[in-house]
Amino acid sequence: MEVLREKVEEEEEAEREEAAERAEWGRTEKMMRPVEVRKEETTLTQEMLRDLEKKLSEIQIPISAELPAFTKDTIDISKLPVSYKTNTPEEEHLLQVADNFSRQYSHLCPDRVPLFLHPLNECEVPKFVSTTLRPTLMPYPELYNWDSCAQFVSDFLTMVPLPDPLKPTIKREEKVLLKKYTIRPPRDLCSRFEQEQEVKKQQEIRAQEKKQLREEEERLMEAEKAKPDALHGLRVHSWVLVLSGKREVPENFFIDAFTGHSYSTQDERFLGIESLWNHKNYWINMQDCWNCCKDLIFDLGDPVRWEYMLLGTDKSQLSLTEEDDSGINDEDDVENLGKEDEDKSFDMPHSWVEQIEISPEAFETRCPNGKKVIQYKRAKLEKWAPYLNSNGLVSRLTTYEDLECTNILEIKEWYQNREDMLELKHINKTTDLKTDYFKHGHPQALRVHSYKSMQPETDHVIEFYETARVDGLIKREETARTMTEYYQGRPDFLSYRHANFGPRVKKLTLSSAESNPRPIVKITERFFRNPAKPAEEDVAERVFLVAEERIQLRYHCRDDHITASKREFLRHTEVDSKGNKIIMTPDMCISFEVEPMEHTKKLLYQYEAMMHLKREEKLSRHQVWESELEVLEILKLREEEEAAHTLTISIYDTKRNEKSKEYREAMERVMHEEHLRQVETQLDYLAPFLAQLPPGEKLTRWQAVRLKDECLSDFKQRLINKANLIQARFEKETQELQKKQQWYQENQVTLTPEDEDLYLSYCSQAMFRIRILEQRLNRHKELAPLKYLALEEKLYKDPRLGELQKIFA
Amino acid sequence: MNRLCDSMEPRVMDDDMLKLAVGEQGPQEEAGQLAKQEGILFKDVLSLQLDFRNILRIDNLWQFENLRKLQLDNNIIEKIEGLENLTHLVWLDLSFNNIETIEGLDTLVNLEDLSLFNNRISKIDSLDALVKLQVLSLGNNQIDNMMNIIYLRRFKCLRTLSLSGNPISEAEDYKIFICAHLPDLVYLDFRRIDDHTKELAEAKHQYSIDELKHQENLMQVRLEDEQARQEELEKHKTAFVEHLNGSFLFDSMYAEDSEGNKLSYLPGVSELLEAYKDKFVIICVNIFEYGLKQQEKRKIELDTFSECVHEAIQENQEQGKRKIAQFKEKHLSSLSAIREESELPNIEKKILECSADISELFNELMMLEMQLVEQLEETINMFERNIVDMVGLFIENVQSLMAQCRDLENHHHEKLLEISISTLEKIVVGDLDEDLPDDLRALFVNKDTIVNAVGASHDIHLLKIDNREGELVTRINSWCTRLVDKIHKDEIMRNRKRVKEINQYVDHMQSELDNLEYGNILD
Repeated sequence: MEVLREKVEEEEEAEREEAAERAEWGRTEKMMRPVEVRKEETTLTQEMLRDLEKKLSEIQIPISAELPAFTKDTIDISKLPVSYKTNTPEEEHLLQVADNFSRQYSHLCPDRVPLFLHPLNECEVPKFVSTTLRPTLMPYPELYNWDSCAQFVSDFLTMVPLPDPLKPTIKREEKVLLKKYTIRPPRDLCSRFEQEQEVKKQQEIRAQEKKQLREEEERLMEAEKAKPDALHGLRVHSWVLVLSGKREVPENFFIDAFTGHSYSTQDERFLGIESLWNHKNYWINMQDCWNCCKDLIFDLGDPVRWEYMLLGTDKSQLSLTEEDDSGINDEDDVENLGKEDEDKSFDMPHSWVEQIEISPEAFETRCPNGKKVIQYKRAKLEKWAPYLNSNGLVSRLTTYEDLECTNILEIKEWYQNREDMLELKHINKTTDLKTDYFKHGHPQALRVHSYKSMQPETDHVIEFYETARVDGLIKREETARTMTEYYQGRPDFLSYRHANFGPRVKKLTLSSAESNPRPIVKITERFFRNPAKPAEEDVAERVFLVAEERIQLRYHCRDDHITASKREFLRHTEVDSKGNKIIMTPDMCISFEVEPMEHTKKLLYQYEAMMHLKREEKLSRHQVWESELEVLEILKLREEEEAAHTLTISIYDTKRNEKSKEYREAMERVMHEEHLRQVETQLDYLAPFLAQLPPGEKLTRWQAVRLKDECLSDFKQRLINKANLIQARFEKETQELQKKQQWYQENQVTLTPEDEDLYLSYCSQAMFRIRILEQRLNRHKELAPLKYLALEEKLYKDPRLGELQKIFA
Repeated sequence: MNRLCDSMEPRVMDDDMLKLAVGEQGPQEEAGQLAKQEGILFKDVLSLQLDFRNILRIDNLWQFENLRKLQLDNNIIEKIEGLENLTHLVWLDLSFNNIETIEGLDTLVNLEDLSLFNNRISKIDSLDALVKLQVLSLGNNQIDNMMNIIYLRRFKCLRTLSLSGNPISEAEDYKIFICAHLPDLVYLDFRRIDDHTKELAEAKHQYSIDELKHQENLMQVRLEDEQARQEELEKHKTAFVEHLNGSFLFDSMYAEDSEGNKLSYLPGVSELLEAYKDKFVIICVNIFEYGLKQQEKRKIELDTFSECVHEAIQENQEQGKRKIAQFKEKHLSSLSAIREESELPNIEKKILECSADISELFNELMMLEMQLVEQLEETINMFERNIVDMVGLFIENVQSLMAQCRDLENHHHEKLLEISISTLEKIVVGDLDEDLPDDLRALFVNKDTIVNAVGASHDIHLLKIDNREGELVTRINSWCTRLVDKIHKDEIMRNRKRVKEINQYVDHMQSELDNLEYGNILD
């Protein structure tokens, strides 16, 4: 039930959207009303989904009719179903009605553009527009809502400019008709068009539009100023109108098929509506569009505002739901329309197009060939289907400095399904700075890596997902002479470590960078406040001046103080005049204490503090060194990943996941074998005996008994034979063994150890065989009667020997 | 018990012994040399080991204030004493001694590990203060009563217990009994208690344990009630109106008033007394409620004041810190400039500049401080005025309420006198119907006696009321004075501390600069 309801809704939605498409028409015809800037033409692509193409093609056909040179219709018409090539009587009838309607219309409104009612389809057959729509429910949840659905359709469409933007389609009308083309309700529609050439001007227009969509008002202004559109108000376009009411749609809105964006009906860029249609009916807009679409009232049930073509099918307005079963017509309503028509109760014939089918592959591929390029003003967006590029690239945005798109400003590349979790690569061409962004899950917990070159000891900024790291590292910045690390959430409260390096000392035996690290000149470490310690014992910053053999400490400031204690240790060990090592002298520790304390004055305390710091210094140096190594490692890993660019495949992706595929195939093989075995076990015992009898006749009782006896005796014989066979083998083995034993006893004295070994191994093998044979024999003896009984039982129950049962019954 | 050392002569814990031990157990090698050179203060020692020294009496340990670990095992100590000062002690080892009773541990609140292994103890007690106790070793003693175990239930942190080698460990269900009564125990006699044993023990002693628990819960509840009452009273006391929320004051008026009690047997007096009491109590409750309300007001006032002062000080500190940070930056760069400078005149000039900077910093900091002092003084004075006003108002209102009490008393007195005299007249006339108690009748000798008696009762009552009023007024006044004094004193302390800090810092900077100068000249 649920599914059904959804389907209905789906269709309704589709209807609404279709209805919107009609709206597009209207606009074009109102010449005075400037038409939307957008003008789009479509060419059919060959190998796209046929359904879509067909639908789209209808629209196109007018073009081809008028301008045959323009359309490259590569569809193989011969494969299309009959409904594409011929019209059913109902359709013929409908076309007549439409013609009639059109005549009346042009009579009543001579100043308006002729209606777009029945363009030729790809088979050059006129089809009424409404019948080109066929509400369909697709199995993809993504297509269930309008936004993602519209996005999908827009991805699928490729814009090809018309040769003449003002000379559109309609077949027989001589009036200036702007070109237009309709898009199916997004839900059931996916169309693919091969992109052909794009005229620069139209690119410009499109770029403008896109920018408008992105609300880049300024640029838009600039661009528009630069190129005022000479055809403003003359272009024709088709789009989708979604009426409010169903599926929680709060108000009417437009969807532009090329971008998949929605617009309010108040939007200024939609200049007017000529007509609307869905798969049930066709309406002409009778309202004045002087104020764009802002004043339009989308109450399709109001015959004054919306002239309908087929009466009765749509008596209601927004609530399209109720129109489900057209059936009822009110004579009164008809008046305006069907003067002499007999079509009062005429229903829209069933759609002639085939149901759309989108394979999962096609759905995933989205765009024709899985690739789509959109040109914007000063920018180019390229999209690819996932897995199409071996490096996982799914889209790339290139921004240019100039309108001609020659000087690249920056490039952004988005990736998907990368094993190294690379998500976005940002290349700034002016600074040459590259920044890689990663998702959670990189083996080194990378988040962001920006660099100019992959060489170590150049400028690198590496950010990490600190929760994924044991050491809580957030960020590490490296330059030729420094390395800075930022930490968070460490148990030792370290927040910052900065190392300065000196120029590398040249070693005679230098082999690689690792074996000759840059000498560390200075390490600065900062700590967060450790609330467990009193402030005057909690170090805020310590500086190891490695070269000067000095250590500076700065402590945290107490809450009620404004100065902080500090301490400086000079740690060069000296030898006094007598040659004894000076352990500690008061001048080796200079301290300033906010609140002088007694125990810190002690040399012992200072000595211990210094020893502690020396150990810490060693540790810190080691840490720095390890960090350097880690940077090298990361860079190496990144290079490898970049070179390998492996893609991950979800285990649910049965198409691509080799492992699961193999597994599945193996399972299938096993199933198959199992099946074969089962078939084997079901061998028909009776077949050879039945074959002796004349076929097709029912067995007599006598025959059945004889058959059974024969079968059983045959089986008995076979069991006996088998037992004999095993017995014979058993005896043969035993004899051989005895012979061998005899031989051995006779020749025992003269045998070499090798021969003896040989003999022994033979014996053990023979014994093994004998034992097995013995076991098999025993088992056979045990099972034979059972098998015999089982067969007998089976034969009794065999339907072909039904006579037997009668005997016993 | 007949240990080898018994035959040796006992030694005294004297200074030499302690010094030796400290020296031996102190830092070694280079640090040891330093330590020797400087000497180690006993109060810096954290751990001390005094085993196998034949000590008979614990003594001379009072200096080891910060001791954490003390080992006195394998001596011949007979009494636990002299440990009162070692309040930081965490680990105490007194095993292998001759101790007979547990005592002298009442100050060691931080003790976690106590070993009394191999002594002569027969009863577990006097451990109440050791709330953090985790490990208790009492093996090889003479504990023979199982009930000692129940005493150990109060140690919520106790996880390890050893009692082997005691008479009770011979008992059949020794282990089960302990497991049942000490469910949080993890190790018994150096072995982990397995879950099975625990379950078994629980099942076996469930009844007695439940009863114990019940009693303990009752006790706990009673204790909490008591505490809650105490807190309530404390709260009333801070509002200076304790015992005014009932008839306490009225009752106390009659507690020492023998005449009054006697007179209450007069006809008609008991009704009078009843009415009097009701009215009196109502006034008392009024005072009480008013007092609580006022207390709340004072508290809010004080909180607001402290918050504002705190904010002001914080703000000031931030400014000071900023100033110092700025100075430091500049100072560091100029110091390094001086170091690099080679020409003497330039150096001198720069040094002069530097010291000018320092004095500039000093001035700035001091100015900030003076500013703060002024601001705070103003605020404090304002607060003082307000709080004194509040207290004054409170006293005034209480006094007026108390006056109502006095009026009531006077009124009652008059009525009583009236009744008394009329009774006297009746007695004199001899037509008194009721029987009066003899001691009451004794008062009705003549008019003077009865008037005196009534008057005495009245005086006592008035005195009680006066006393209560006086107490309240005195206490609130002294509270007020103390509060204001404290605020002033705190502010003065703060100011002195800050000034000292600034001076110290500036002095340090100056001396650093001087040292540099000196060093340069040397160069």
